[in-house]
Amino acid sequence: MYFQAEANDTKYEINVHESRDGWQVSLKPAGSDWIHYEFSKSDYQYMDDTISFLFKNSSYLLDVTAAGVDYTVYTRGAFRTVKLYNEEKILHESLKGGKSLASSDSMASEMPGKIVKVFVKAGQAVKAGDPLLIMEAMKMENELRAAHDVTIKTVHVTEGQAIEANTVLISFTK
Amino acid sequence: MARPMFKKILIANRGEIAVRVIRACRTLGIQSIAVFSDADRNSLHVMLADEAYNIGPAPSRESYLNIDRIIEVAKKSGAEAVHPGYGFLSEMPEFAEALSRAGITFIGPTPQNIRDMGDKIASRELMKKAAVPIVPGTPGAIQTVEEAEKWAHEIGYPIIIKASAGGGGKGIRVVYERKELASAFRACQSEGKNYFADDRVFIERFIQNPKHIEIQVFGDAHGNVCHLFERECSVQRRHQKLIEESPSISVPQKVREEMGRVAVKAAQSLRYLGAGTIEFIFDNSTKEFFFMEMNTRLQVEHPVTEQVTGIDLVHEQINVALGRPLSFKQSDVKQTGHAIELRICAEDPMTFKPAPGKIRLCRNPQGPFVRIDGYAYPGYEVPIHYDPMIAKLIAWGHTRDEAISRLQRALAEFMLTGVKSNIILHKNILAHPTFLDGSYTTQFIDRDIAGKQQKLFMFVDENVFLITAALEAYRRAKGRDVSQYNIASRWKAFGRTKQMRS
Repeated sequence: MYFQAEANDTKYEINVHESRDGWQVSLKPAGSDWIHYEFSKSDYQYMDDTISFLFKNSSYLLDVTAAGVDYTVYTRGAFRTVKLYNEEKILHESLKGGKSLASSDSMASEMPGKIVKVFVKAGQAVKAGDPLLIMEAMKMENELRAAHDVTIKTVHVTEGQAIEANTVLISFTK
Repeated sequence: MARPMFKKILIANRGEIAVRVIRACRTLGIQSIAVFSDADRNSLHVMLADEAYNIGPAPSRESYLNIDRIIEVAKKSGAEAVHPGYGFLSEMPEFAEALSRAGITFIGPTPQNIRDMGDKIASRELMKKAAVPIVPGTPGAIQTVEEAEKWAHEIGYPIIIKASAGGGGKGIRVVYERKELASAFRACQSEGKNYFADDRVFIERFIQNPKHIEIQVFGDAHGNVCHLFERECSVQRRHQKLIEESPSISVPQKVREEMGRVAVKAAQSLRYLGAGTIEFIFDNSTKEFFFMEMNTRLQVEHPVTEQVTGIDLVHEQINVALGRPLSFKQSDVKQTGHAIELRICAEDPMTFKPAPGKIRLCRNPQGPFVRIDGYAYPGYEVPIHYDPMIAKLIAWGHTRDEAISRLQRALAEFMLTGVKSNIILHKNILAHPTFLDGSYTTQFIDRDIAGKQQKLFMFVDENVFLITAALEAYRRAKGRDVSQYNIASRWKAFGRTKQMRS
């Protein structure tokens, strides 16, 4: 099964092949050659509530959560979110207008919280690093800033509003 | 004078400290009464306590800070005393006074103690009178930018501007040059006004190689005061402590003794009752120490003192609240070995942003010389309303190196998934030469750790993340959903057994 993936700002192609008693996984970081891994099913096992993975004889205990295309892998106190698109998802994305996988025209909340202050209005041009709004979550106020020079299209929230995680806060045009 | 042991204690707090106090109560044969907000029905303290009462909606102001409601529950449940933990109502004299009017004992200092030390300017004056060294600074609050410039010149740059009521990183600015002064001064005034309804600010010398060293003190109603040596808490992010240890390897024995003497004298001058901590800013080049503030409560980091002195601080708080004398003399208090505490928080290890959410797996480390004070469990949802700290990991060793090795071992066993945590950050710190040689200052995280992403993941082969994610995506596409397999299986099993029983 073929995937396109993105993790830690790098794009990858991944091929997963399952045989009766083993896995073949090939990875290709953008601009590099394919790397091939082969391991037996007993090397990648489901325990009660974890995955035990013997990777090149290193023993990893892992847990994975999936939300849409985001797969977050937890192990050894670290975690990494990997975006994975299979053929169906790649097709779907291409129908939406051929945008690159990581491009975005909106900013969403990372966690639930409350909007304390909004600094911008629709139609306003902002520079990278300009403050857009202040959001309060877990007793802390967090200032969200523009990542690029953009023009504000719509502000979807108002001051004082309580919001859920992954709520679109502001959309903009580049 | 001395009363028989309490039968019931109400704990006006939540999270790990509520669990810690419940444990002390149970050890002493005291019934514990928990209170909880609507967001905390599933919190561990509710399940561990003997009784539990809902005290209102999730926002602290309407529950954990609601004095009337807590006193109502204390009366109804027959609590003879209330332990406030830390934070929330622990340093509000009005709470201690309201309890006293209701005939309930407050396990903590006197309202006068809290008032004396609650205001940064007033507390500094009191400490000066008790011959405690103070950082050079303005004698009182200053009003105008002109005044600020005059004082800054006298004290010498760099200086630090602080709002009188400030805390938790709010209302504090460092100024290195005159041209930065005016805007920083106004920012502190407005933050003080907005966050604490108090726009008084003061200025003092900014110490460039600062360590945070504090002395634990304990007083009883008979005028006895002892100190329980120091804790070093210089590993901080966002002006909040992350790692604490005792002893500090930067403090020479002579200075340690002097700090203890000064702290005891200061507490005696206040007629201090119960557990308190005198925080000093310690200049690591000159080994001078200056009073910063006094915390009139049990500290988050009290376990490191417990591990090196063998004294149960919560037990002793209860003892002193009963009017009994301290169970030890100064000469009984010995610092044995070395203890270090790591604060485990549900937060991003790179940006330090809180990351509430649902915990999937939570396996605490076990084994010799390791202690966990925490409240997380599998399936627990860390609420957005409160502090992101979910556990404290403490290890003891004969030497600092041994304590560090034990912490490294314990961190390797720690499994916490579903939420972001700073476990990986702690692993990095415990491998950092500046932490290992003890030369770290309060600027350590900002200077040497923050934003160093590559190093954070040095314990994992990057491809493990990719392969695992791809295998789970493959299984999902084949209809063997990963979440079916993994999510909260224990809770489903628990639910099923419960249904069978009823």
